Amino acid sequence: ALCQCTDSNDPITRPRVENVVLEMQDPKTGVKSQTQRLVITTIPHAITGEDIVAWIANRFKIDAAEARAMGTMMVAFGYIYPLQDHKRLILKPDTSLYRFQTPYFWPAQQWLVEDTDYAIYLAKRNIRKKGMLELYEQEQYNNLYKWMNHKWDFIVMQAKEQYRAGKERKKPDRVVFDCQERAYWVVHRPPPGTVSAMDYGHDRMVDPNMEEKKTPDYYRRIIMFTQQCIMRPRVKSSVSIGALIKYTTTYKEHDPFLHTCFPSSPWITDDVTYWTLNMPNVETPTKMRVERWTFSFGELLMDPRGRADFRLFLKKEFSGENLAFWEACEDLKWGAAETMKEKAQQIYKTFLARGAPRWINIDGKTMDITVKGLAHPHRYVLDAAQTHIYMLMKKDSYGRYLKSPVFKETQKKAVAPEPHRFTETQLEQNAKRRRPSLSPIILRQQEEEQKAKLAASGPVDITQVMSKLERKQKN
Amino acid sequence: MGKDECKTMLDALNKVTACFRHLVIALGSTSDSQNLREELKKTRKKAQELAVANRTKLTALLKDKNISKDDRAEYERLWVLFTSSMELLDVDMKRSLEIGQDFPLKVPTRHLIQTGMTGSTTTVSARAMSVQNMKYEADANIDTVDLKELETEIAQVDQMMEEMEMKVQVAPWAVEAKQEAGAELKSTVSVGNSSVGVISICEEEPKETVEGETGLMKVFAGIIFTAVLLIAGILGYLVINL
Repeated sequence: ALCQCTDSNDPITRPRVENVVLEMQDPKTGVKSQTQRLVITTIPHAITGEDIVAWIANRFKIDAAEARAMGTMMVAFGYIYPLQDHKRLILKPDTSLYRFQTPYFWPAQQWLVEDTDYAIYLAKRNIRKKGMLELYEQEQYNNLYKWMNHKWDFIVMQAKEQYRAGKERKKPDRVVFDCQERAYWVVHRPPPGTVSAMDYGHDRMVDPNMEEKKTPDYYRRIIMFTQQCIMRPRVKSSVSIGALIKYTTTYKEHDPFLHTCFPSSPWITDDVTYWTLNMPNVETPTKMRVERWTFSFGELLMDPRGRADFRLFLKKEFSGENLAFWEACEDLKWGAAETMKEKAQQIYKTFLARGAPRWINIDGKTMDITVKGLAHPHRYVLDAAQTHIYMLMKKDSYGRYLKSPVFKETQKKAVAPEPHRFTETQLEQNAKRRRPSLSPIILRQQEEEQKAKLAASGPVDITQVMSKLERKQKN
Repeated sequence: MGKDECKTMLDALNKVTACFRHLVIALGSTSDSQNLREELKKTRKKAQELAVANRTKLTALLKDKNISKDDRAEYERLWVLFTSSMELLDVDMKRSLEIGQDFPLKVPTRHLIQTGMTGSTTTVSARAMSVQNMKYEADANIDTVDLKELETEIAQVDQMMEEMEMKVQVAPWAVEAKQEAGAELKSTVSVGNSSVGVISICEEEPKETVEGETGLMKVFAGIIFTAVLLIAGILGYLVINL
């Protein structure tokens, strides 16, 4: 028998988990509570993990594992907090003690977690611990002092007053209040190593639960949407499903979410070996990465290491101009607008003009379109030629690359890292050693250096090799 | 002199805001009661009185065009203190409305959350109201009746804050804090020995009982040591006299 709040005009209905928490309070049918015995005081309303799991399993008629998962969710969101090991927000189905959080500290979408409150909390904690804050707390404190400086006097004043007001309560209540506040901030400002349930991404502009008023504008929107749906090109479901199945069977072992990744997933174990082994321009790629190059030509080209390998192969075959042209077209498409005209002219001079040093072999019609377009160059003027060259490389060089000694060499040297086996203490240490990864600025600089190096090792004179290729194509 | 008056009034408002927050946190928990609802009502009214008084004083001071630059900077700082207090109060009032509506006291099927807090908050509200003891004189249905008043009061506060933003042109980010990082550590009343023992229990749990117990052990050792000293002193005195 759940009772809803009948006089609430709030359009955002209360989350159902709060109703469950309310049910758990019933003295007859709720969770059994016991007293927590501390050194000097006893505090009531402590509940054990196993009691919570048993109650949930009984109430919803589910098995113990699912009940445990649901209980962990309640702990992760902050409706219940652990009394021991307060930084790990999980439900342990044993005699570990938990307690309910007061409604003020329940998570709610409409009440933003303010940095002002966090600053006041840190200042209070600073007073209580006489300046000995934990490392991550100290870092947060310094950050907040820097950017909330204009409010800092208020924060100090309010922290002192809240601290003094707190001391007016009796000792057991003071202990409970401190535990409650600390639990709230563990959920909303998780210390390193705590998995937070609060990472939900961007705030939505519209509330999905709110009923939309049926104005003429709304109906106009719906009509437009339906018309566009009808106009969409349709593919036979057998074809699209077949493609999906082919994709999933090829890639299912390569997805780090669906399959274990080696040596270990950095998101789970906080160990970044996986990322360092898979850097864009690493010397020896991993076996999984090399396998992905065999799936399609697109995969090979999109991976910088794969493209480098392909470039090496083409260099040995003296047909590097195709890849160079393709890369130049990509640079034109994605590059800055001011250098576009010069780039287009440069590409024409190097690759397309009669007697150019790195002449590429495209058919007459495409050449016509391209030359005409170059009179008024824009970003996509070389698209037709680029597609032609891409198809040429895909049908011709790609197959030969996969059979070449260059590729076989890379395959042999590829590493297959051993899976990590971390103990609990090692995992905690890894979590403490978490640091931000390489800055994108540095990565960009490395890319630019690579490009400069390639450009410096200039193009080979291949006009003689061109005639060889023509003879090969005739055969 | 206006500055000192302002400061005392702001301190009072600050104190009431802090106490109000403590009271709202107890709402809905096993600490909740008729008395708590009355305390909230009284504290709220006091906060509003102080808010209006502060606002009139500060707007008067800020409107004065003949003040020095330093004075103006100081008044702007006080204004930021005032608006921050009001923001906290506003949020807490809205939350108290929501939680008050969710947890009516008289419905028998509606249970309060068993948070472990069972004591009363009368000392906190006495602090807010600056009285020795709180008197309770409200009706039995204060938990539902008060909510209507609360809604109107929230609307009033919102309107006041809007007016304040429109009429007073103070850039809050331009204010520089006088206090440095860690200023709260100075001039706070030192925590008594007994409360240190209890509060430290909420810290690192693996050491929790050990910390408490080593504290106790130290106390026992001290007592035994002084007892031994006393006995030695008495014996020595007796030896000398005999």
